[in-house]
Amino acid sequence: MLAFWISAAGLSAAAGALVLRSAAKSRLVVAPERDAQRRQLLEIERLAGQGLLDEAERQGARTEAARRLLASADHVEAWPSEGAGPRRIALLTAALAPIAALATYVAIGSPGMPDQPYAGRVAEWRATDPATLDPPRIAAVLASIAAERPTDPEPLKHLALARAASGDLPGAEQALRRAVRLAPGRVDLWTALGEVFVSEAQGEVGPDARLAFGEALKIDPAAPSPRYYLARSRIADGDVAGGLADWRALAADLPSDDQGREPLMREIATVEKAGGLPAPVAQPGETEQVQGMIAGMVEGLATRLKTAPDDPDGWVRLVRAYAVMGETAKLAAALAEASARFSGEPKVLAALRQAAQTPPQPKTGQQDGARP
Amino acid sequence: MIIELGAFALILALVFSVLQTGLSAVGGARRSAVLAGAGRGAALATFLCVAVTFAALVHAFVTSDFSVANVAANSHTAKPMLFKVAGAWGSHEGSMLLWCLVLTGYGAAMAVFGASLPPRLRAYAVAVQGALGIMFLAYTVFASNPMIRLVDPPVEGRSLNPLLQDWALAVHPPFLYAGYVGFSVVYSLAMGALIEGRVDAAWARWVRPWTLAAWSLLTIGITLGAFWAYYELGWGGWWFWDPVENASFMPWLIGAALLHSAIVLEKRGALPGWTVFLGLAAFTFSMLGAFLVRSGVLTSVHAFAVDPTRGVLLLMMMGVAAGSGFLLFALRAPSLNSGGLFAPVSRESAIVLNNIVLSTATATVLLGTLYPLIREAIDGEAVSVGPPFFNLTFTPVMLLALAILPAGPLLAWKRGDAGAVMRRLWVALAAAAVLGLVTYGLIVPRKALASAGVALGFWLIGGALAELAERVKLLRVPLAQTWRRATGLPRGAWGTTLAHAGMGVFVLGASFETAWRVEQAQALSLGQSFRLGAYSLTLQDVGTVEGPNYLAERGKVAIVDQAGRLVCAARPERRFYPTGGQTTSEVHICPKGLDDLYIVLGERRAGEGGKPAWLVRAYVNPWVRLIFLGPLLMALGGAISLSDRRIRLGVGRRASETAA
Repeated sequence: MLAFWISAAGLSAAAGALVLRSAAKSRLVVAPERDAQRRQLLEIERLAGQGLLDEAERQGARTEAARRLLASADHVEAWPSEGAGPRRIALLTAALAPIAALATYVAIGSPGMPDQPYAGRVAEWRATDPATLDPPRIAAVLASIAAERPTDPEPLKHLALARAASGDLPGAEQALRRAVRLAPGRVDLWTALGEVFVSEAQGEVGPDARLAFGEALKIDPAAPSPRYYLARSRIADGDVAGGLADWRALAADLPSDDQGREPLMREIATVEKAGGLPAPVAQPGETEQVQGMIAGMVEGLATRLKTAPDDPDGWVRLVRAYAVMGETAKLAAALAEASARFSGEPKVLAALRQAAQTPPQPKTGQQDGARP
Repeated sequence: MIIELGAFALILALVFSVLQTGLSAVGGARRSAVLAGAGRGAALATFLCVAVTFAALVHAFVTSDFSVANVAANSHTAKPMLFKVAGAWGSHEGSMLLWCLVLTGYGAAMAVFGASLPPRLRAYAVAVQGALGIMFLAYTVFASNPMIRLVDPPVEGRSLNPLLQDWALAVHPPFLYAGYVGFSVVYSLAMGALIEGRVDAAWARWVRPWTLAAWSLLTIGITLGAFWAYYELGWGGWWFWDPVENASFMPWLIGAALLHSAIVLEKRGALPGWTVFLGLAAFTFSMLGAFLVRSGVLTSVHAFAVDPTRGVLLLMMMGVAAGSGFLLFALRAPSLNSGGLFAPVSRESAIVLNNIVLSTATATVLLGTLYPLIREAIDGEAVSVGPPFFNLTFTPVMLLALAILPAGPLLAWKRGDAGAVMRRLWVALAAAAVLGLVTYGLIVPRKALASAGVALGFWLIGGALAELAERVKLLRVPLAQTWRRATGLPRGAWGTTLAHAGMGVFVLGASFETAWRVEQAQALSLGQSFRLGAYSLTLQDVGTVEGPNYLAERGKVAIVDQAGRLVCAARPERRFYPTGGQTTSEVHICPKGLDDLYIVLGERRAGEGGKPAWLVRAYVNPWVRLIFLGPLLMALGGAISLSDRRIRLGVGRRASETAA
């Protein structure tokens, strides 16, 4: 804060000094116009001397310029010499200007608000207990760790999870693409990449996902998740019997206490009954999981604010989250409650209004279908 | 601390611009050298403060400080550094700050370099420049402040439109604004002269360097914009008669007219009223451009966010500046000396004709730009005015101006001899006609109008060279004497030749490219080919690449000529920017002499047998390089003219002249 006031004073002094210096150095310039006309006459003679103007042109131009030189003599400006008055005015205005600027700044600016460079904020989050951070902040911390360890796929894997939890599926995909380049022999990374592709395609196992799951199976032919999704894609492509056979084989290979076994058996029964995948896709895919996680986090924040409501940042985050999710009723309620609570704090109110105007985002996975 | 210092400095700049206007105006009116000097000092102080704010904003972008709302809305940590910096002027708020920086920079330049101006004219001009500063700075501080902070900054920014993340667009706005706002100096000098009631040859001499600088910078700015549109938008075109393009083109046309009329005023003392009118109009059109882009009345790739409130404010500012200027002009115009007389065939007449044509062309562009807006405002009907309108109205008018252009510089002042001029130009005319006929005969498909355009281009280049040959008496005196004359020629003469020839180069390129462009689009699976004119294209591979803030599919397209030689291994990309979920095409351009082979990779789709296929669009754009080279030659001509000792103010005078 002190640095700001010193800098502001220094800038004001420098600006004021420019005014005073220029006023002190001012002197009368006598007849610059005649000077200009005289230069033009000389230029005509120079060009004629080099043979670039013929005699007729020279005569005409010279007559013209000479006539203007004479005319300019009528316009010589005589400025009177001055007393101390104008200098006092200059000094007074130069001194008052910073005061007026300061008064306006205090009224409309954010005095005392520090700079918040991204690197500094990330360092702050890194020093914080991760349990208190939301997924976007965790993702920011992991991105900085991944940048520090460019050959280690592990932070990238966690980064992808955090980004997926933040609803940033393309970011998760980007992190996993880097991870599989660093460790192409890791089945978990290929599997995670395939699952992100599936989430982005809203449950559909597209060509990119098949490629990723295929790579995973090359490394570990028994990997359950790739087997599940590839079988699912066979069913989606019309090979219901083949897909179901693959699923049954998978179910047989899963340990009896595996949590995924029961839902898989239910899904096999559903497909057997329907003769194909039900539409819309009944798969409890990543998209729903991720959105469920986000909704859970937002509701967690809402609950926390009920017990500890004196948290303006928290309310702003909640209002923005409802705006992004398109939860208009909850948005209105949260905005009304927070506005009432912080009615005496215009900056918080402004932040709340701004957060409420955040446009709703499409559900994760609803990206441009034509993207690479 | 830095951000808040920038916020404070912006307000300080506003206060000092008030001082600049007040002290300079009172200094001029009372003939007080001290107050006028203090006003000039305030102009420097204003510029210093805006520069501090601008530096603070750039710092916020570079450090990704998302507590600044403008950074949060227009930047992202993954963005490459160049585009982080350019993001500072990529938004409405940031670009208004850039506008203010340039405006106050010109004000400071007037304060420093205006020593040769009459003191009162200088004081009034600095005051008017300060008044413009008050308007734009007040608008920036109170309605469009780029330094607004967020109480709860987001973790990440929303990033800049990927189309704007491009080197040409990073440098396009600074050049464009340097041009647009450069006309503010001409406006201020015109207002100063009208307040004083004197517009004469000396005034024209003072106005010319500013006009030349502004026009040359605007030429570069527009060319960069056209080049960006050409290779970034992936449509293969370079000018779309988009309203925002037109908004930059109108001050350019008026600036070109002003450049020529100022010469008449300087050399012959004629056209004072008209020249002042053009001086006012040039900046008015610049402000119209600012209004159109920012008001939300237009939907364009260039337009900033829709915001009617800001639009109304900008319209009011334009109304105040233009209204006061033209009102003063109306009051003073009858008393302005009409200046020297000239015969119907003379260089003055040629320039008057040039001015009439350029003004008519400007009016045509204005009509085509504003008509849809007016219709929509009156009856709510959305109409579109596109290239067909401009081709039928603007093009014929400009053709007339270009056809007479080579004759103008060869005509004598006051009374010219048309027969003598034609005797000097007949070789250029005959050569242009022959080349036009050769083009018509040789290039298939035969196109008469385009061939005439080619002839016109050669006529302009030949005419410019003929005028130069006439000046140095080429082949009429010994070569040594010609060389001496050439080295003794004023730089302004070289600049004129270059600018006029540059126009010819542009016309050649535009005629050729528009008429004989070859275009082909087809969905290709890997290994498939199609023909494009004399070339054959094969999509060999498509892979995925990862950029700093995008994922891309990159194609490998082999282009071979009729002899089977590989002429280009193109790598067009289709990029996906996760932030914002936008997709862009990264065109691959293979230059082939003056031509471009232009390859675009489109979206992936299902091809034959379910195999993936990609839409590949390709163009052969013949002589397209001339379209961008021509305007750059014009700008270079302007820069060379600007370096002419006769045009520079208060610098470069010879000792003998100063002593005289």
